[in-house]
Amino acid sequence: MSASLDTGLTRGDYPLSVNRPELLRTPTGKPITALTMDAVVSGELSAEDLRIAPETLELQAQLADASNRPQLAMNFRRAAEMCAIPDAEVLGMYNALRPRASTAAGLAALADRLETTWSAPVCAGLVREAAEVYARRDLLARAGAEDGEDTP
Amino acid sequence: MTATQPRPSDQPRHSLRTDVLEARPVNLDGFVEEWPEKGLVAMESAFDPAPSVRVEDGRIVELDGRQRADFDFMDTFIADHAIDVASAEESNALPSAEIARMLIDPRASRDDVLAVTRGLTPAKVLDVLKLMNVVEIMQGMQKMRARRTPANQAHSTSARDNPVQVAADAAEGALRGFAELETTLGVLRYAPLVAIALQVGAQVGRGGVLTQCALEEATELELGMRGITAYAETISIYGTESVFIDGDDTPWSKAFLASAYASRGIKMRFTSGTGSEVQMGNAEGKSMLYLEIRCILMAKGAGVQGLQNGSISCIGVPGAVPGGLRAVAAENLVASMMDLECASGNDQSFSHSAMRRTARMMPQLLPGTDFVCSGYSAVPNADNMFAGSNFDTEDYDDWNTIQRDFQVDGGLRHVREDEILLARSKAARALQALFAYLDLPAVTDDEVEAATYANSSADYPFRDVLADLKGAQAVMDRGITGLDIVKGLESAGFHDVAENLLTVLRQRVSGDLLQTSAVLTADFTPLSAINDPNDYAGPGTGYRLEGERWAELKKLRHVTSATDPESEVR
Repeated sequence: MSASLDTGLTRGDYPLSVNRPELLRTPTGKPITALTMDAVVSGELSAEDLRIAPETLELQAQLADASNRPQLAMNFRRAAEMCAIPDAEVLGMYNALRPRASTAAGLAALADRLETTWSAPVCAGLVREAAEVYARRDLLARAGAEDGEDTP
Repeated sequence: MTATQPRPSDQPRHSLRTDVLEARPVNLDGFVEEWPEKGLVAMESAFDPAPSVRVEDGRIVELDGRQRADFDFMDTFIADHAIDVASAEESNALPSAEIARMLIDPRASRDDVLAVTRGLTPAKVLDVLKLMNVVEIMQGMQKMRARRTPANQAHSTSARDNPVQVAADAAEGALRGFAELETTLGVLRYAPLVAIALQVGAQVGRGGVLTQCALEEATELELGMRGITAYAETISIYGTESVFIDGDDTPWSKAFLASAYASRGIKMRFTSGTGSEVQMGNAEGKSMLYLEIRCILMAKGAGVQGLQNGSISCIGVPGAVPGGLRAVAAENLVASMMDLECASGNDQSFSHSAMRRTARMMPQLLPGTDFVCSGYSAVPNADNMFAGSNFDTEDYDDWNTIQRDFQVDGGLRHVREDEILLARSKAARALQALFAYLDLPAVTDDEVEAATYANSSADYPFRDVLADLKGAQAVMDRGITGLDIVKGLESAGFHDVAENLLTVLRQRVSGDLLQTSAVLTADFTPLSAINDPNDYAGPGTGYRLEGERWAELKKLRHVTSATDPESEVR
């Protein structure tokens, strides 16, 4: 999420589910207070309603920053970018980052896809950084071997 | 030949006392001499690097004697993601003795210590820990544990992968106080049924208990994404590049996976531990603790909120060398002084000696950790599919007594049998109703009856394994989610259990459980290092076992009444 929400959250706002429920919405736009048993029984809710929204991950990132945990905040910001990516594709991306699973070109394409298709520049940065280190440490797949053996 | 009966020449006569000692269980344990060149050494090795750090243009260019061009991927990841570059040179310039003193000095707050430790290199952290004896390590843990209130975690598994057993034992475990419950399988294809059973049982025992199913990374993530499990933990990392690669991962793949979990609102921690690198055959000649410190910093750099460490499944390795359990206590402290949640081991059988098993957990139980055990076996050890834990159901009363003896909170409590039987029966009946609703293989009334009174998997009727495996596959094929479980429980009349599970699922929308050391209290309040920060500042401060909780822990199975010595306190 590049669009940062200027909520001025402090540690006192945690837990958001107790202290700031009005800030919490599902990816489908429902307020968290709409996630009731009645709504479950009447079939109004789908599994999609029980997922976290990228805006919420940004709020949690602000709380992590306010708690002096910059790495945790960065993890939440990468996560916010990943919310929209389908489960199977997320798993595919993870597998592509395993040692010698991808060529340099493969990782470059993955980074581009993250950046352009999914508007995920922070995740793309992580993949580009991996590509640079993998090249230096001989952890890239040989060209043409991309779909073949994936482990050494 | 001589006229007298010769004594077998190669067997000198032993004293009767030696015979007694030889027969002691501790002598069935394995002990081995140190071999530092191969990394078979706990924390004092001449082959570990000396600390150093150099920063140029806002970037670490030298780390523990290595120049940037020679960094392996652990060095690179730690230098670029874990260490606070702004304070690195200053923090590493402090004498190690001064940092060690800060760890035990109550006048230095947890935040004061973190201001220094976030800039330290792995070798510098090791240098600090090498100055500390085990009591000092415990003092450090008392202050550095992230969450003020300690907790405990259990394994709930079955040698037959019987979901009915898992549900009943999960309910009992939750009722006894475990904040997290973890399962795994003998036959992996059973996972969906057993994970559902664990979730149902947990929410019967005590609403808000978090559950997980340890599987390979992709399946574990899928069950989490579906809301069948609530958190994940078996995301292994290693301290050398070569072993990390053998595990088919890199720090970047694991960091990506950490974000994948957070993107689905799922709590997650990594797992590492002393001894794993030497056990996997490539410690690169470094001590176990040095390599574990690299893991801890890698985890911090990935932005994961916590770590399960304390040797874990490799405990036999540090357990076999001199000072090994001191190193294990030290690695827990390092996780905490890197501001990570620490689920502190005590989760694998490692000794035949009851005395040694108990001693092993003292450095975690006495100061308190975020989770004293990262797997106390809430089933008999024969049913423990994590290859046995350091403690199991037979030890419940001993554990409760030790808590009472020392007035320490190890997360458990004594529960009266009538309450336990009710919870076990209800868990089995809830699972019975849910399986019927989801058209999964039936749970019979005989199984419910057995679950209520059982001790181990041997006390249950056999299930039709083939039918169960088909049912498990159907859970995956039909895309059953946590929401379906809520609906099933609600429609079958288990309203409170359904409500508990829905509340747990709702938490992932809020993301509150993603923060460091988060658990859910019995009233479903997220409790983490943010709203329950460890404020230890010396005697009389920090978490104290007192009030209602202490009254609860004074109860045991048999306590004689002071007013009527003929009766027992209930």
